[in-house]
Amino acid sequence: MIRQTLALTRRELLRISRNPQAIVTALLLPILYLLLFGQALNFGTLFGGNPAAFVPYVRGAPNYFSYFSAGMAGFVAVTATLFIGANVIFDKLFGILKRIASTPASAFSIFGARLIAGSIQPIGLAFLVLGLAIGLGHLGLSGLTVTAAVGPVAAVQILLAIVILSVMFASLFLAIGFSIDQPQTYFAVVNAINLPVLLTSAALYPWGILPGWFKAVASYNPITLAVEVIRLDLFSAAPQYYPYSAWVYLLGLLGWAVAMMLIATVLAARALAPKR
Amino acid sequence: MAIASEGRGSIVADGLVKTYNGTVRAVRGVSFSVAPGEVYGFLGPNGAGKTTTVSMLTALLQPTGGHATVDGLDIRRDRTAVKARIGVVFQESTADGDLTGRENLELAAALYSVPRAEVRSRIDGLLERMQIGDAADRLAKTYSGGMRRRLELAAGIVHSPRLLFLDEPTLGLDPQGRAGFWKYVLELQREHQMTIFVTTHYLEEADGMCQRIAIIDHGSIVATGSPNELKDRLGGDIVTVRPTAPNPALAEVLARVPGVTSVGAQDGAFRVKCANGEALVPEVVAACVRAGVGLQGVSLKRPSLDEVFLEFTGREFREDEGFSATDKAVMVGRVREAFGGRR
Repeated sequence: MIRQTLALTRRELLRISRNPQAIVTALLLPILYLLLFGQALNFGTLFGGNPAAFVPYVRGAPNYFSYFSAGMAGFVAVTATLFIGANVIFDKLFGILKRIASTPASAFSIFGARLIAGSIQPIGLAFLVLGLAIGLGHLGLSGLTVTAAVGPVAAVQILLAIVILSVMFASLFLAIGFSIDQPQTYFAVVNAINLPVLLTSAALYPWGILPGWFKAVASYNPITLAVEVIRLDLFSAAPQYYPYSAWVYLLGLLGWAVAMMLIATVLAARALAPKR
Repeated sequence: MAIASEGRGSIVADGLVKTYNGTVRAVRGVSFSVAPGEVYGFLGPNGAGKTTTVSMLTALLQPTGGHATVDGLDIRRDRTAVKARIGVVFQESTADGDLTGRENLELAAALYSVPRAEVRSRIDGLLERMQIGDAADRLAKTYSGGMRRRLELAAGIVHSPRLLFLDEPTLGLDPQGRAGFWKYVLELQREHQMTIFVTTHYLEEADGMCQRIAIIDHGSIVATGSPNELKDRLGGDIVTVRPTAPNPALAEVLARVPGVTSVGAQDGAFRVKCANGEALVPEVVAACVRAGVGLQGVSLKRPSLDEVFLEFTGREFREDEGFSATDKAVMVGRVREAFGGRR
């Protein structure tokens, strides 16, 4: 089973690497947000042009753009994993999934390979977004300023946040991909999920201006949980801004990922079982 | 039908039934047996139930009723083992276009657990044999239709299966591509004594390549036998007589012509069977003239599978006759969904 899973994972990664348009599309939205949304919302001009006064509203980040950049690094896990579910639909349409299902490969291998590939892909992209956000600062634009000393533990925590968030969304999109047969239906469903999930997270909004009920909702949003880990590790924020350590946020995120993975496994196994 | 030996390399189906959505009866109790090393053809028009039968035998589809064994294994109980012992080439082109030919075969070898030490030599051998060695490191999406089919055949036999299922394998290929594909299949069958189960709606393919044939129509097998046996059952040549106006009495006139063994009516024409059609045509024309019957045309056909199909189903073979059962099931499902019913 391990050999089959690895072979199928290799297939997925080769396909992703040979379709750069999927990578460009995954990066397009977060980069546009960085270049337009992040630059336009120049909250530093508020409070009499004293950016330090805005720090409490962005949970200890040095400025809004830095706070927002961490949000986009998390969001890229959503835009990148979207294609792994779409690939299931196209594999169904082209008969490739049927061919794979006609071999002794187990449903676990077929699903697991896609999950692994889908979770690996966003890692590089998330760090690319963070790198770009830092680079913008050197071009005379608003840029990401890292105020914490990012050591190995912090780096591992950021990596885990991106990977677990990717596992969660890859599971969600795989669950949808295995349950739906038409690409147009898939993209309609996915779009109906993406934006509300992003807009109910703390990826975009300064935490300090959110009403209480919104904070309560956003606190449990998986994007928020991942993004808070990145912010905790990039900015030397005072303890009062974050009630929990990064590990606690990671644990919450893991809960989401496991739940979504279980649901997706059941749906994938059902889709791959002999048709009745 | 009595179940034949359920041993290695054999296929035995006993009363297989498949009903979609509780209403669409795609396969209606088919029974047959395929001997080890045999090339067995399933011949029928679109929508006859060929692909549904293959899907059940390859453990991709759960039968609604009946029983079948493949290589001695039960298709319901031993699904994974069945899949490990068979090769399948589907009617759709299922080679992964984003992988090279070699990568496609490496994937197939891993999925079928081909021993690692043998993978390279097997793949090199197959690429060479299928004459795609020069294109081995090109993406499969750049291959021609014939090359893709040969690649898919190679992927289906990379694990040296005892049985190979080919579902409309030459669909969409030009005559040259079809001939090339069959050349490789028959070579493999001869060398490895592989059992081959092939569905086709190309009559000449079934006639030339298969040792035995089952003719399936509307989900039921209507005749089985070797191509020659089936043609012999027609009882000789067939002269088709088409009068200018419908004339039921002409059947009697034709039946009295010396040498005629039987007369059947079909769409206003008469199918006259005889041992020697060439000699009979002038006699038939003379008889019609004597009876004062105007003729629109007279044609002679030697026994062919086309005639066999007509004989057993009462209609001519049409390649694109109707929707497949899968198409019908999807349509029924969509209608039910649209009206809020259960799928």
